[in-house]
Amino acid sequence: MFPVVRSDWVPQNVDISVPSAARAYDFMLGGAHNFAVDREVARKINALMPGSRAAARVNRAFLGRAVRFMAERGIRQFLDIGSGIPTVANVHEVAHSVAPECRVVYVDKDPIAVAHSELILADEDRADIVRADMRDVDGILNSPQVRGLLDFDQPVGLLMLLMLHWLRDEWGPAELVARYRDALPDGSYLAVSHASDDHVGTQLRNADRAMGDSGSADRITPREHSAILAMLDGFDLVEPGLVGAGEWRPTGPGDISDMPDMNMLLYVAVGRVRR
Amino acid sequence: MPTPDRRQDSTPSTPDPVRERELLARKWAYLLSGEIVVAHTRDALEDMLREHLDGICDALHREPFEQEPLALIGGELDALGLVGEAGLRCTTDVLGPGLLALPEFQPADRNAGRIVLGVGALAAGFLAANRRSVLEQQESLQLSMLKAVRDAKWRLQESEARFDEVVTSSQSGVLIVDLVHPDAVAALREAMKQLLDGGQERIRQSQRLLRKDGDVARISLTTSLLRHADGRPAHFVTVVEDGTELMLLQGELNRQALHDVLTGLPNRQYFGTYLETALRRADPEHGVTLFHLDLDAFGMVCNSLGSRVGERLLVHVAQRLKNVMARERAMIARFEGDEFGILVENTASTPDIARIVAAINDELAEPTFVDDDGLALSASIGVVLRPPRDMEPTELLRAADQALRRAKTGRRGQWELFHPKQDEADRRAQALAVRMPGAWELGEIGVRYRPVSGFGGGVVGVEALLHWDRQDPLGHDECVELAEQTGLVLPLGEWLLRVAGGQARWWRQRDRIEAPLVVGLTAVQSGDADLVSRVVRVLDDTGLRPDRLSVGMPVGVLSVAEAVDNLTVLADMGVRTALHDFGLGPDDLAALEDLPARSVRVARRLVDHRASYVHALVSAVRASGVTIVVDGVRTAEQADWWRTAGADAGSGDFFGAACTPAEVVAFFR
Repeated sequence: MFPVVRSDWVPQNVDISVPSAARAYDFMLGGAHNFAVDREVARKINALMPGSRAAARVNRAFLGRAVRFMAERGIRQFLDIGSGIPTVANVHEVAHSVAPECRVVYVDKDPIAVAHSELILADEDRADIVRADMRDVDGILNSPQVRGLLDFDQPVGLLMLLMLHWLRDEWGPAELVARYRDALPDGSYLAVSHASDDHVGTQLRNADRAMGDSGSADRITPREHSAILAMLDGFDLVEPGLVGAGEWRPTGPGDISDMPDMNMLLYVAVGRVRR
Repeated sequence: MPTPDRRQDSTPSTPDPVRERELLARKWAYLLSGEIVVAHTRDALEDMLREHLDGICDALHREPFEQEPLALIGGELDALGLVGEAGLRCTTDVLGPGLLALPEFQPADRNAGRIVLGVGALAAGFLAANRRSVLEQQESLQLSMLKAVRDAKWRLQESEARFDEVVTSSQSGVLIVDLVHPDAVAALREAMKQLLDGGQERIRQSQRLLRKDGDVARISLTTSLLRHADGRPAHFVTVVEDGTELMLLQGELNRQALHDVLTGLPNRQYFGTYLETALRRADPEHGVTLFHLDLDAFGMVCNSLGSRVGERLLVHVAQRLKNVMARERAMIARFEGDEFGILVENTASTPDIARIVAAINDELAEPTFVDDDGLALSASIGVVLRPPRDMEPTELLRAADQALRRAKTGRRGQWELFHPKQDEADRRAQALAVRMPGAWELGEIGVRYRPVSGFGGGVVGVEALLHWDRQDPLGHDECVELAEQTGLVLPLGEWLLRVAGGQARWWRQRDRIEAPLVVGLTAVQSGDADLVSRVVRVLDDTGLRPDRLSVGMPVGVLSVAEAVDNLTVLADMGVRTALHDFGLGPDDLAALEDLPARSVRVARRLVDHRASYVHALVSAVRASGVTIVVDGVRTAEQADWWRTAGADAGSGDFFGAACTPAEVVAFFR
């Protein structure tokens, strides 16, 4: 077991005795922006669902392909909701490799992830971060960062990766996506990835329980293919539609895993706003 | 960039070294990208690795050999992305054998030492850089945490500053009466005066506070008086709690988390927590009683009239349960679906369980009108009476659920009390039943055979039976009973038929054994809509002739139309059909007249039931051309009696217990 660090001087919303999904994900990708609690829960999840590290890598690779896909179709501004710990192959890095003038606003609710992003982006005038819950649509869209960097007369690339499954059904996930969709200018794109237990059975639920047992308030609501598809109403999905992360236009072994289930743990899609 | 050794290009039979390096770099990039997160596209990664590979080769060729350049390249590998242990392993796996196989390093045995040192230097250089980057990441994480803390504090200070601004901007300083609504000022002043006079210790009031813009905010206000050491009043301390939407919302959310939205009753979580408290404070003499209700036929209501009607019905049921329990100290909760829980804290005047259950079912039997449909329901109920005070709530809920399950196996509208002993047996059986599919998968369940022997001599059939090979082995009857509970009996039964069918064909081919294969079905199997297609499939696959198969159904299930249909179709196909568990009673004899059965098997329990009238019944059965087999024959004496009574054949320990295929062949010799 690991010692529980509960430092009194750390304010409540910066509780480092509870693992954060963003930092556990960073560890799964091989990063070191994490604490012992994060590593512990990531190890547990990997034991309960072998291959979850591969699934994390496959998701990260999809992020790169989705951003590149949008940038190659002329998207020059991105809103990445749930950006987590900015690590290798960031949205702004990928976007800038296609077009250096791209502007990116990251959004996350984790105070440490946000602070870290602010430190990293201090010298970057084409990228910024907002601290907000993804359900606060107005707060995000009216934030000074979004107002300052993004021009809502031009198409936007909205990224919601590994995010929508944190929304419980009673919070109206489809309505939330619809509110973002309605705010997006013509020609905008959306990319999503969403956990599903269509292929992994109970493993995902066990892994989610491990996250809950560790004290984290964030719980996964896995959904089946049709339910996720319904959330993407109003978007014309580009080929091949809503598919396993490993099946979305893979370009090489970096985009897929040897473990078939891990290619299918996340459904992903890129869609264009239909008007 | 230096090119590799060109001298070897002149020999056409040797591979092209440039091309070989390219291939190695490509393989490296391919495997690495499948292992780690890389910051580059695949093409870019391949180019970079190609450059690194050239650098590595150059360093290996250099005289004198130095490790430094390789360590530098190792350091650069760390910058490719989140390389880590997996990336390093992949790199050494590729480069170790890959470099040794490159044409430029032939003969390999002369260069092997250098390549080993080189790969080691690469790894060491990588380790140093990786360590640096891990420390940098940890450092930056710590900085981020400090920054997050500082930001949080700053936000706190900012809101404090805003508060100061509000308070100080009012004209007469921090006086609470300036903030409350004018209508309430007089009363508040009066209360504070009393506080000052010592008439009261504390003021607690709901107040409406004036915002700067004149809007009203609801708050609750508590004021106490602090005194100096000598008792003189020093100052007032007022605590103001926000009573606005946020607070109300919070209250509402709490309520919703603990209550079922549809019926407004407490939900299962709340009920569970409450159980714990109730158990502890219960009257030791009378204790508590837990009822777990399940509405009968609720699914039918939803299916036929729609789930909206179902929902409204649930609301009615909730109301009626409240009516029934109105006089008791009881908590009624809605579990999931159509299940409810009631916890009664008993007193001397609490009616007994039977009376409460009857009252519930009477109340529910009164039709409720939803739209124009008058609906009435009954409930099956599991009851736990006076559980021990230290029983875990989850265990208690489980016990009630278990009792409910037993209640539901009978007719509808029944109730059943929880019995710990019965429960233990049930749990053991259930544990076995749920482990059965795994045991089958692992090959622990096998097929055994036993002879059906004619009383006149000779073997007239071979019965296939299940056998679970475990520490405490289970025979056929126990196996099918367990499999029947979970539904496993359907696939398992087909498998039994298939294995035995193949075996029977083998016996026929090799040992010329023509005796029919006997298979007994369970109630679930007999009514299975797929029974006929299962049998047809097995006959096709094994080549077993239909008239070499005898399928028996328990006579009791033949009141079910599906089972009768199955039996009739099987008989039409030429399969020998039999009625098992035959009771020799009037109903059973009547069934024999209506059904196409070629034989009956007298129930095991009747083996010792040797009444004189049995002779007459046996001859009546035989007169209709039906063969009679007696099951469970254990002694020579029993066999003799039934032979005299006119039965044709018997099975049981006297004729041979279930054994392996090889052993059963011995009976035919």
